[in-house]
Amino acid sequence: MSVPGVTETTEAVARARAGDAEAWGQIYREMGPAIFRFCRRALPTREDAEDATMEIFSKLWEGKLSQYDETRSFSAWLYRVAANHCWDILRRRKIRQDKETEDIDNVPLEHPDPNQLDRLIEQKTSEEVRHALDKLGARARMALVLRYYSDMSYDEIADALGVRRAFVGVVLLRARHELRQALEGKSALAAGGTS
Amino acid sequence: MSEPANPVAPEEPDGTMEHLDEMTCLLYAERQLDRARAQAVSAHAQDCAMCRTLLRALDRESRLLTRAMLEEDEPLPSRLAEFQERARKSFGWIWGLVLGLAATGVYALYTGYVEPLQQRLEQAGFGGTSLLSLLVFQGAFWKGWQSMMTLFEVLAMITVAGFGAVIFRRRLRRGSALALVLAGLCVALALPAPAGATEFHKGETYELAKDQTVHSDLFLTGARARIEGTVDGDVFFFGQSIDISGHIKGDAIVFAQSVRVSGQIDGNIRSATNNLNITGTVAKNVLTFNEVVNLDAAGKIGGSLTAMGQTVSVDGHLGRDLLDMGDETIISGTIDGDVHAKGNSMSIASTAQVGGPIRFEGDHPATVAAGAKLASPVQFTQMKKESQYEKGNYYVWRIIWTAAFVLFGLVLFLLLPKFASEVVNAGERVGAPIGLGVLVFFGVPIAAIIACITVVGIPLGILTLCLWFLVLNCAEIVVGTVVGNWILGKPADTWALIGRMAMGFVIVRIVYTPLAHVHVMGFLIGLGIWIWGMGAIALALYDRLTPVAAQSAMPGPMPPMSLPPNTTVGGIQPA
Repeated sequence: MSVPGVTETTEAVARARAGDAEAWGQIYREMGPAIFRFCRRALPTREDAEDATMEIFSKLWEGKLSQYDETRSFSAWLYRVAANHCWDILRRRKIRQDKETEDIDNVPLEHPDPNQLDRLIEQKTSEEVRHALDKLGARARMALVLRYYSDMSYDEIADALGVRRAFVGVVLLRARHELRQALEGKSALAAGGTS
Repeated sequence: MSEPANPVAPEEPDGTMEHLDEMTCLLYAERQLDRARAQAVSAHAQDCAMCRTLLRALDRESRLLTRAMLEEDEPLPSRLAEFQERARKSFGWIWGLVLGLAATGVYALYTGYVEPLQQRLEQAGFGGTSLLSLLVFQGAFWKGWQSMMTLFEVLAMITVAGFGAVIFRRRLRRGSALALVLAGLCVALALPAPAGATEFHKGETYELAKDQTVHSDLFLTGARARIEGTVDGDVFFFGQSIDISGHIKGDAIVFAQSVRVSGQIDGNIRSATNNLNITGTVAKNVLTFNEVVNLDAAGKIGGSLTAMGQTVSVDGHLGRDLLDMGDETIISGTIDGDVHAKGNSMSIASTAQVGGPIRFEGDHPATVAAGAKLASPVQFTQMKKESQYEKGNYYVWRIIWTAAFVLFGLVLFLLLPKFASEVVNAGERVGAPIGLGVLVFFGVPIAAIIACITVVGIPLGILTLCLWFLVLNCAEIVVGTVVGNWILGKPADTWALIGRMAMGFVIVRIVYTPLAHVHVMGFLIGLGIWIWGMGAIALALYDRLTPVAAQSAMPGPMPPMSLPPNTTVGGIQPA
């Protein structure tokens, strides 16, 4: 798992764990922008993303890095840390919207018109998608960010969001429906995700 | 809702084809379906244009999401760019604070201990250069070290070497960098100045006849020695008794039971003896640790006499000062300089002449016979028997020393974080480090002294003693860290370890300080701390240097390889 353009910093991590300040700087230079973008996508505001990024790296400096298993990908592990941190922020704020309840999850989603969906996707730009993301509920946005920014597996997403693995597909599908409604300018909070 | 059990419904009775549901299509696009289901979806999509379009749309939607998220639409906020710089600076000011406080500790060491001793030695005629060089190097063992650095220059060099290790560790592995710096330091310290030829003699007795001359330094070990001839360099003697009636142009360094000087010594006498009797002439100074020192009426010392022993009797002529820390001081001869004495009693005979002030700190006032010619009356100070622990000053110095040790520990832990952790882990084993500590505490100094006695091993012996002393000072830091770990638990990183070290060291000091008043218990506790800490350091070194034995047990099962994502079978068929 990796984000295109972000290189592994295994050697720097080993030196940073030994207390090398220069290595810390290298890790921050390489991973800081990517982690900020992750937080920017996952959290509602830019200021939240800035704070979260600083808190995540502060956690690393204060000892979190010692929990890293060197046999695994560092960037994957760091994204997990970032995801957990952002999810904790969102849960503490209790900004999950009403539809993110068990009842809402059981409401069946309407099958989309494939041609209409295809046209919608073709017309929308990346910027419009990013604006639409800001309108989504916390869990929906987080699920999309974990899958399409961090390229996490379904198991990792389930672990990060605290849901069953079999439910991850549902979460992603609902998130996509919300995103489509936001792209079409319709309310993203309508239960059932009417088209 | 969960994954559909059967992604493709069978054909309806009326012949219309059932389409794939969106969840199935999404799972297929995300490569989350198993092989059988994926193949079924793929087969259906080849025949169903609508499902094919849906699959394509979902795939494009995934790509759009990925592209939108990965685009760098915003620059990194300046606050985050400054964050790294602030983190760098935070390291910087910490080092500045450490150095500042370390310099304060060094200054406290100098003003409290070194400077008073240096002043005393200057009064005894050791003017000019450093304490370390005067006591150990200057004229005693090596010639040509007159320009030897002062004690603080040595400390400064060690600090610079430490900085070098900090800088090198960014480029080289820490262990080899530190080894490189320390090896360089050891080579610098161990290199003696060219001393020319030296004669060595070992035997029961040694005799240098009157008409014989030794044109170099002379090293003697044996029971008895008699020097009637001339030695152009220094004389070193380790034995039972030595009689110097000839002419020594350098210094006489003597460790013996009895020393008699009736001849001429152009340099100094440095001795640790039972009896020192001078009836001849010593041109410079005498530094001696004796039971009895006697400057006979015919004897003459051109410089100062510094003596620590039981009885000092000056009946001859002393060119400069007398510094005496002993039991009894008897002055019946001539002293051109000052007299500083501390002891039980002082007697000044009628034949005595003292050219400078006389300061005596003792139990009883000095006894001055009528007729004695003194430049000024004796300044007597009653020796106070109060315990050092009753003085407030003692506790202030304890606090200063505690802070200095904590800083010392902080620097060590930052320079050698992994080794520090290993030492602390070794210390927590308690039994093994204490056992090894006994061996190190007693055995190493004995071995170093033996090395010094062999003469050729003097550099190694001195280096070993210096390292032993350094490890001794680290011992309490190690014990403090172990105590800190017991209280706060295992540390997560180096800074947590440093915090535990600081806390534990302070606790050990607070507990130990009142117990130190109880003489035997205080001594035993202090000894126990040193032994434990030194043993932990030795044990960690041993573990590092000893190769780990291969595990005989079968290796455990290999952990399952983590499959990269999206590796399940299936995939999107081209539209």
